[in-house]
Amino acid sequence: MNDIITDRSIMSALGRQLTVAVAKQSVAASNLANLDTPNYRTRDVSFDEALNQVLPGGEKLAVTQRGHLTGQPAVPSGELEDAEGLATRRDGNNVQLDRELLHMTRAAGDFTAAQTALSAKFRLVRYAINESK
Amino acid sequence: MSASASALTAERSRIEVAVSNMANAESTRGVNGQPYRRRDVVLASNPVESFDDAMGRTGAVGVKVADIVEDRAPFARRYDPAHPDADAEGFVSMPNVDVPGQMVDMLSATRAYQANLTAIGLIKDLISRAMELGK
Repeated sequence: MNDIITDRSIMSALGRQLTVAVAKQSVAASNLANLDTPNYRTRDVSFDEALNQVLPGGEKLAVTQRGHLTGQPAVPSGELEDAEGLATRRDGNNVQLDRELLHMTRAAGDFTAAQTALSAKFRLVRYAINESK
Repeated sequence: MSASASALTAERSRIEVAVSNMANAESTRGVNGQPYRRRDVVLASNPVESFDDAMGRTGAVGVKVADIVEDRAPFARRYDPAHPDADAEGFVSMPNVDVPGQMVDMLSATRAYQANLTAIGLIKDLISRAMELGK
């Protein structure tokens, strides 16, 4: 029963989403800061690939019923890479203002979503602690 | 956040340099007795030392003003024999400042400044949302 309330795998997944959103936000902020730095290349952080590497193999929890979550290892560390397919300006810089602002807004949205879900989870726990008061 | 803050500083110095260039667009006597030379800001990326960095994770990269250089382009020559700084042929060397170019530079610095302000606002939003988790 207490599995339903504290649902550890969902909580940790939401926690990871917060971390990922902050990392994406920080990379986009770095790109924005270097909007006019000559020879600066746009950096991207990709977690999807890290996740794909982790998902097929790796340690998993035993499953005794369909629908059980197998759990995931700790936060996948994001890969920093140069973004491709962006037009380079004459000073060797390829940061695009709108792209970075879009990424920041999207990361903020992801963060808000995870935060809302997490605080709903916490509220549930508090509700139980306070004897439904 | 410190990356965005460093960008605000850098963009502001770009604006200040552009303003001083425009202010001196007609200064025929600089500090060394020569006409004023256009100044330019050299920006370089600068890793921000943070906790993430120390942990070997993706650290933010800020920006800094690496140098302020003078433009070595030749001075514009204007025919004005009545000018006190005119040479024997009646030409005055005017500063190599191109005022419309400075305006464009200032506009792009302002845009970058605004973008970084927006970024700071978004990050601030994130932090205050994280605080709400404890409520």
